[in-house]
Amino acid sequence: MDEKLIGRRDFMKSTLAGFGGLFFLPQIDMKQEIRVVDAKGKEKKFVYRTLGKTGLKIPVINMGVMLTDNPNLIRTALDSGVLLLDTAHAYMAGRNEEVIGEVIKGRPRDSYYIASKVSLPQDRTTGLYTEGATTEEFLKKLDLSLKRLGLDHVDILHLHGVSRKESVMFEPALKAFDKAKKDGKIRFTGISTHTNEPEVIHAATDSKAYDVILTAYNFKQKHYAEVRNAIAKASQAGLGIIGMKAIRGGNQQPPTVKNITASLKWILQDPNVHTVVPGFTTFDQMEIDLSIMEDLTLTEPEKIELQKEASIRGLYCQGCRQCLGQCPEHLPIPDLMRAYMYTYGYRNLALAQDLIMSLNLPNRVCEDCGQCPVKCSIGFNVSGKIRDVVRLRDVPLEFLV
Amino acid sequence: MMKTVCLILGLIIFLWVSGAEAKDFRFPEIKGWKQSGEIQTFIPKNLYEYINGAADLYLMYDFQELEVAEYLNEKKASVIIDVYRHKTSTHAFGIYSQERLSDTNFINIGAQGYVEKNVLNFLTGSYYVKINSFNTGAEDQEILLTFAKKVAENLGEKGRLPSILSSFPEEGKKKNSEKFINKNFLGYSFLHSAFTADYELSGTKFKLFVIEGAGKDECKDMIQKYVQQTGSPRKDVVEGRYLIPDPHHGEIELYWRGGYIWGILNLNIPSLRSKYLKLFEEELQKRN
Repeated sequence: MDEKLIGRRDFMKSTLAGFGGLFFLPQIDMKQEIRVVDAKGKEKKFVYRTLGKTGLKIPVINMGVMLTDNPNLIRTALDSGVLLLDTAHAYMAGRNEEVIGEVIKGRPRDSYYIASKVSLPQDRTTGLYTEGATTEEFLKKLDLSLKRLGLDHVDILHLHGVSRKESVMFEPALKAFDKAKKDGKIRFTGISTHTNEPEVIHAATDSKAYDVILTAYNFKQKHYAEVRNAIAKASQAGLGIIGMKAIRGGNQQPPTVKNITASLKWILQDPNVHTVVPGFTTFDQMEIDLSIMEDLTLTEPEKIELQKEASIRGLYCQGCRQCLGQCPEHLPIPDLMRAYMYTYGYRNLALAQDLIMSLNLPNRVCEDCGQCPVKCSIGFNVSGKIRDVVRLRDVPLEFLV
Repeated sequence: MMKTVCLILGLIIFLWVSGAEAKDFRFPEIKGWKQSGEIQTFIPKNLYEYINGAADLYLMYDFQELEVAEYLNEKKASVIIDVYRHKTSTHAFGIYSQERLSDTNFINIGAQGYVEKNVLNFLTGSYYVKINSFNTGAEDQEILLTFAKKVAENLGEKGRLPSILSSFPEEGKKKNSEKFINKNFLGYSFLHSAFTADYELSGTKFKLFVIEGAGKDECKDMIQKYVQQTGSPRKDVVEGRYLIPDPHHGEIELYWRGGYIWGILNLNIPSLRSKYLKLFEEELQKRN
């Protein structure tokens, strides 16, 4: 074993897993506007932020429509002060856009904003576009979306479900956006992502081809810090940032967050997020989501609850043992994940070290494999966590107890 | 003793069938076509990697697993088959109905299917199958049908559309407009699920719905919560007619009898409402 002793403090400092100042952001000027809105006869406090250089001033809570075909829910949302409806060409095979079209018929065009999304054929393993991903295909889908919505233009059109930087710069899509803008069919271009978000966001920022980014962003993401950094850079470059998968949806069904309002406040504590589009499906859910605008400040009990929930879900190996047999070096992965949890969940480094030492690991752990073949069922970066926690072998015991 | 043996045998058969349903499906071999690459499998946690945000709706319909296979031929045409397995045939119908086009070319595959250019979707048992083709030219429909028939064959029993759909009165009903809403019907968490159908009569459009409760008590609970929610609480909630002043949906007339709650949305003509609700009641009674 290398004689490279490190102290406990250095060990803890060197990771992002510790809940330092990073998890909660300090209070700063959010550059937001507060208004009292007449929401179906009731006065409600609404908080507005500007969606980057689009200049659109919108409430920080809007509506992700994809889960509902209830026109009266959408209608009530608009009547209650929601301005932005988020949908997609593919949702409900087009019916989602049609339902929205029914609802907005007759409403003044400047009383709402519509964001939709168009996807192109993709290799789902690599995230790269395949044959059939053409400018014509993109524009054909956009025209159909406009027909369903009963509109001559949408306010934001996203390239749907991007997970690679190569796809951000996909020429046929950029050409389609260009034509669509020139024809007045879209006002602003966007990109949506819920995989490899930091890579996609950085690429979108650097490309200068996009006005808005719609990204998954929540306190349970293992890489929330990287997402946050990417969002900050994008926002500083003038891009509008819309958060999604803040509380519901994605791979979390039924919702696993315990405190919905705290989860929404967590994302909105970030001044670089201009709005969130939760997918509510009941009137009560809508009321709860909108109510956070009364006060976006996270209370101390809410902070503790979020930390606890993030800690448990983010660090705790589910013990499914699907990883067994995947490691070419036959490392005892569930035990190593348990050591990781002892370290960061329980903050018991001695216990963690004791476990690690009992495993009779080889000298070099996770250093010689090029790419880790282990696929964790809950998406852990297994080799990263192992490399992190085995460093405890180099910490003298007297430093830990 | 005999009863115990039968029970155990029944349990074994049940477990075997449900296990078989889940695991024994094989993508078919189709003459002139070769499977390309590995079969991809997606589960609830990673379905969004395949269909992005559309995954959320599938999850609401108790999606269990998706298997995807791609086929290629020498002419560089491709066919992709998505086989979605849901918890029950009702859930599969639910998601199928959410995406089903009402004015399309229906075909007799599985419990029901339809075909459009480059697309064939069908429902069979607890499976929702979506087939997409690319570069298939003039033979597109024939190719899609060939694939669909083989997949349906391998999936086994075709099942049927939910039997309760036959209780919706025929007059004025928009064909194939029936849907199953799995959660939060009308935007209320206490109205757990419902079947709906769209109607049009002399330019008037409305919707009929029916909620199947687990029993009288559950229906009573739903009605109680509904009247409370809409500001018209009652001391005694009994079976019969209700006129609910819903602040979001307008006036809703509904009936509760036994394990069923049925009603009408968006119809302000009382005589027409009564007619349809009576017709519906007669059909529902036939089920008992």
